[in-house]
Amino acid sequence: MTLVRRYGLTVAALIGAGFVFVVPFLFIVLTAVKDRTQAAQLDFTWPTSFPLWENFWTVISTRDFMLITAYINSTILTVGSITLLVILAAMVGYVRQRRKAWWNGLVDFLVLAGLMMPPAVVPTIWLLQQLGLFATLHGMIFIEVAYNISFCIILYRAFVATIPREMDEAAIIDGARPMDIFFRVILPMLKPVTITVIVVQSVAIFNDFVNPLYYLPGNDNVTVQLTLYNFQSQFNTSYNLLFMNILLVTIPPLIVFLFFNRQIVAGMTSGAVKG
Amino acid sequence: MSDLTLKSIRKSYGAVEVIKGIDLEIAHGEFVVFVGPSGCGKSTLLRMIAGLEEITAGSLHIGNVLCNDVEPRDRGIAMVFQSYALYPHMTVYDNVGFGLKLAKAPKDGRDKKIRDAARILQMEHLLDRKPSQLSGGQRQRVAIGRAIVRQPEVFLFDEPLSNLDAALRVDMRMELSKLHQELGATMIYVTHDQVEAMTLADKIVVLNGGEVQQAGAPIELYQHPANLFVAGFIGSPKMNFLPVTVKGIEGDTIVVQADEIDDLRVSIPGATARPGDAMTLGIRPHALRTGADGPIKGTVDLVERLGNETIVNFRLGGGTQWLAVLDGDMPLHRGQTVGFTAPEGEPVLFDRDGRNIAIANPQAEKAA
Repeated sequence: MTLVRRYGLTVAALIGAGFVFVVPFLFIVLTAVKDRTQAAQLDFTWPTSFPLWENFWTVISTRDFMLITAYINSTILTVGSITLLVILAAMVGYVRQRRKAWWNGLVDFLVLAGLMMPPAVVPTIWLLQQLGLFATLHGMIFIEVAYNISFCIILYRAFVATIPREMDEAAIIDGARPMDIFFRVILPMLKPVTITVIVVQSVAIFNDFVNPLYYLPGNDNVTVQLTLYNFQSQFNTSYNLLFMNILLVTIPPLIVFLFFNRQIVAGMTSGAVKG
Repeated sequence: MSDLTLKSIRKSYGAVEVIKGIDLEIAHGEFVVFVGPSGCGKSTLLRMIAGLEEITAGSLHIGNVLCNDVEPRDRGIAMVFQSYALYPHMTVYDNVGFGLKLAKAPKDGRDKKIRDAARILQMEHLLDRKPSQLSGGQRQRVAIGRAIVRQPEVFLFDEPLSNLDAALRVDMRMELSKLHQELGATMIYVTHDQVEAMTLADKIVVLNGGEVQQAGAPIELYQHPANLFVAGFIGSPKMNFLPVTVKGIEGDTIVVQADEIDDLRVSIPGATARPGDAMTLGIRPHALRTGADGPIKGTVDLVERLGNETIVNFRLGGGTQWLAVLDGDMPLHRGQTVGFTAPEGEPVLFDRDGRNIAIANPQAEKAA
């Protein structure tokens, strides 16, 4: 009785959470190692055969090793976007927090507008075409930066507020020029929130399916999420290969998240509490 | 050599004037303390000298160079902040050497300077640590080390000891004093603690409401305060005040009276006063002596017997609270009526505008 009372709720919560988080993942893993016929039933049964290597090789080698190209593209896209996001958002957040100017209100409005207004796809494509950036990887990087920078600016701004202004002044007295102050003193102190931004945004950008679908057509430009279409079509879907593909695409972000879990939470809350 | 000259320095934030025209000469090698209540503009003035605040009007010369629009790094100054402002991601070594690194000093010279500064401050063993691994006093040393290594002409300290505990504060105070003698540089120090001001300074500048109330040697300020504010601010415990009327003048001696005290003779050579003038009498608690037939009579409220001295809180006839610090142990008790006297030379008189009549006599100025 006391055992139930003490641990009952905990166990119930764990079972509930396990059901929500673990069962779908188990389903992916199980389906990925089945053969085609059994996978097509889409049920929760133990695989009768384990064509693990065949499924893996087929997924990798399909359409002239498209998944490898996709990995390279997604990595470039993610690393490029994150680098720009971190530097630009930290700079804007820092200047916006420190400098009192009459256009602050306007800047805040634009930042919030970036969060609230839904992106319009067709005009954006037209603009990209005019600029010669449509269906290019660097054009896609700009899109990801534009869509995500507002959120990052808000995170950075809250965190910069916790850094005493005397820090900047000490650096000024030490002879630092504005760029030195930012890159040598402020940016290193923003490390917790930078880790948050890196993890949250890299997962978001790596997993982005819709935006590359709109803005990045073409077989050479494919990103990992778009490779899912290789095994799914209107009349013919290889579920075992589709789920193997999902598994391969899910693992990298999962590893990032497992490693940086603690820092993410610290970065998310430290700005908020002291703000 | 770098003297510091401030000429009618002003600072306004919009319509609010914070610094209202300050003129000050600081000689090379002087230890100057800016002291005043919070909000008096002492920190702002220091930050203007540092170049962290713009100067609205007036001129600031460091050496012979007009420095109003010179960047802080080119002013030959170094500053120690109240919160130390150490860079948390750098080791002590890098913290101290950051300025040199920015100035692109060669590595050997940089290393030597950092180690020299560490030796002067006895913190060589701390060089590899991060600021978070240091105690308050050690952080303070690092902040001072960061200033020393720049070999500035002028050191600026913004309440550097107020984050330390009382015992450490006394130690650091003595070390700062030693450091000043060792380096021989000009030091400007901001504090609201008048004990720090009295012990450290060659020259104290008392500020209030954005104006210099008085500037001079600590003892000068203690013995000859220019006005009521300085008299009340310098000295601990605080000076006793009482509004009085001039009754008569006998040569250099002015006889004053009030409802609460009998006639009191105050000797002020050269001061002019007329019978009937309203003035404020000021007497330091340490100047009072007990005397049964003394002109000051009070009822004892509280006695603090410390052995070497006795601090007596007493009330004059009209209810004004005064304080007396008497030598030795005095077995007084609450409710007792005690008479006090003050030597003729000790009391100070302030005119209607609060000025010490022994120093600035507006009537004499008018006559001249």
